[in-house]
Amino acid sequence: MAATDAPHVIIAEDSAILRDGLVQLLTERGFAVTQAVSDATSLEQAVAADPPDVVVVDIRMPPTFTDEGLRAAIALRRTHPGVGILVFSQYIETRYAAELLSGGAAGIGYLLKDRVADVADFVDALVRVAAGGTALDPEVVTQLMGASRRTDSLAGLSAREREVLALMAEGRTNSAIGNILVISEGAVEKHVANIFAKLDLPATTTDHRRVLAVLRYLDG
Amino acid sequence: MQIQVPEERAGQARRLVELVAREPFHKRSWAELAYFLASSALAYTAALVLAVLGVTGLALTVVVVGIVIIAGTLRAARGMARWQRALARRLLGEQIADPEPFNARPGFYGWCRASLGDRAAWRAIAYFAAKVPLTIFGVWFALSIWVEALLAVASPLTGRTATDTFGLFGRVISPGYNGGPGPGSAHLGVFVSGIILLLLAPWTMRLVVYLDRRMMHVLLGPDAATSRLRSLEESRSKTLDASTETLRRIERNLHDGTQAQLVALAMRLGQAKEKLDGLAPGQRSADLEAVQRLVDEAHRGAKEAITDLRDLARGIHPPALDTGLENALATLAARSPVPTEVAVSIPTRPSPAIEAICYFCAAELLANVAQHARASRASLSCAQHGPWLRIVVRDNGRGGATVNGNGSSSSGLAGLADRVGAVDGHLSIASPSGGPTAITIDLPTHS
Repeated sequence: MAATDAPHVIIAEDSAILRDGLVQLLTERGFAVTQAVSDATSLEQAVAADPPDVVVVDIRMPPTFTDEGLRAAIALRRTHPGVGILVFSQYIETRYAAELLSGGAAGIGYLLKDRVADVADFVDALVRVAAGGTALDPEVVTQLMGASRRTDSLAGLSAREREVLALMAEGRTNSAIGNILVISEGAVEKHVANIFAKLDLPATTTDHRRVLAVLRYLDG
Repeated sequence: MQIQVPEERAGQARRLVELVAREPFHKRSWAELAYFLASSALAYTAALVLAVLGVTGLALTVVVVGIVIIAGTLRAARGMARWQRALARRLLGEQIADPEPFNARPGFYGWCRASLGDRAAWRAIAYFAAKVPLTIFGVWFALSIWVEALLAVASPLTGRTATDTFGLFGRVISPGYNGGPGPGSAHLGVFVSGIILLLLAPWTMRLVVYLDRRMMHVLLGPDAATSRLRSLEESRSKTLDASTETLRRIERNLHDGTQAQLVALAMRLGQAKEKLDGLAPGQRSADLEAVQRLVDEAHRGAKEAITDLRDLARGIHPPALDTGLENALATLAARSPVPTEVAVSIPTRPSPAIEAICYFCAAELLANVAQHARASRASLSCAQHGPWLRIVVRDNGRGGATVNGNGSSSSGLAGLADRVGAVDGHLSIASPSGGPTAITIDLPTHS
């Protein structure tokens, strides 16, 4: 967290209409948007000049409109490991997700742009990432699970356990999972323990370490 | 002027004499002679081998082995045709494209069937069969003259006074000096005849080799169907590229335009919804202004998204085309920022694909005029000439448009040329620097 209590945010998005909308939305929800830029180079300069708590970055930006934003995100991860990164895209690509998460899941988010329509969820995800947590789009989790080479072991999970695993991978806490699935936190803990046991993963309490473990497993 | 004409004539005559005098010493004359000798040897070997194999195969057709031998003969013919093409390439510089590749289905029977039905191999056999009489003709008509010319020119050294009587020379020309008066004058006569024959020899040989070249192109190159297929394959791949490029552009427009609009719209509506949800019943008026603003923006965004989508849809298939090119082109010209005159005369409607290409060409050309030409006036004409549709776009701008140039309009024109080429049309540009520019596109009315 920066000196003031409002999390500092830098936005990199080439579509002016979306950029302005985001600035307005985040300002209203109590974030301090220090910069809003339209390409990857300006993003890197802005972060270097005044590192924020979190950046929101579009994957496709000028000049080539391919994966500039992702390259910038990976570079930022190296130069400013403390800055949370929320990658924000109209498509989910498994390869991008894997690349982004290869250095760890702490302070990483990857969401579909559609998610801003649910303002509360979006803001919640951004807060998580700013605080060093993880926020993965359910699409990302589905794709990563689908791409996993160890589907055999996943097949051993019950339907409920798969749901819990997916939510864990999205970066949710046990209480959040309990709320979403309308079960008690204790029940969630039991499922999590079962999952760890079935997948042969050591149990830990920290959120992002759980995600990391899950992703490592999925990726393995 | 009156003096120049004879001078020119004299110059032409001098050049002709020089050409004839130099020809026996020109490299290509000797290369043709070498080619004739080498290719004749190859043709006789090929004809012999193929005949022996073929007859053996035919004799044994009752047994399966015969068919296999015939199939093998055809494969051999294909191989020898390849040597023949290599020989022509090496010595004559004659580029003869390879015929359609041998394409056998897996397995023994597949191989036999493909070999027996191999058109290129049958055509190669036809070539070697025709080459045998051509070679005989060549020996009689051209080689004999070369040989006699060289022998006669060397006669002062060898003391030769008469000629052998083979070939055209022996039968037709040699009686002229064969029984010359005295030994001395006979020597001179033989030598002079040798010189004349030496000047003549390259030309007779050239005729023989020319016939052979024609035969190779007809029988050893790809047949008409294959050539057509190749050019079709080429244009198909270009069409594919063009349509891929179109799809890419549509995707880009969707991504940057409409999709972003809709996301922003959803975002604003989401905010408005939260505000409405968060308001206690008594409080509503306090935040109403903010909600009003968000809904206003969302409303505007929705309308912009609709406009964007409409433009996009027009880019995929212009609805104006449904009622014919005439209306579509008139609409196009009316939308152009540069005042544009339109003249359309199309008695019968072309096929839909041609109409679409014509429309997009006109759209691209008018867009180029607006963006690059700095023109104050333009005209668009589209008229049917028999089976062709001719589109001409003129402007009075600064000119300098090229397909291969590095101007920003060039990639657009190259793309147009590809599109037009894909349906066997043509694009030509007349655009001197400083203008005016006229770009003409001819399209077949049905493709």
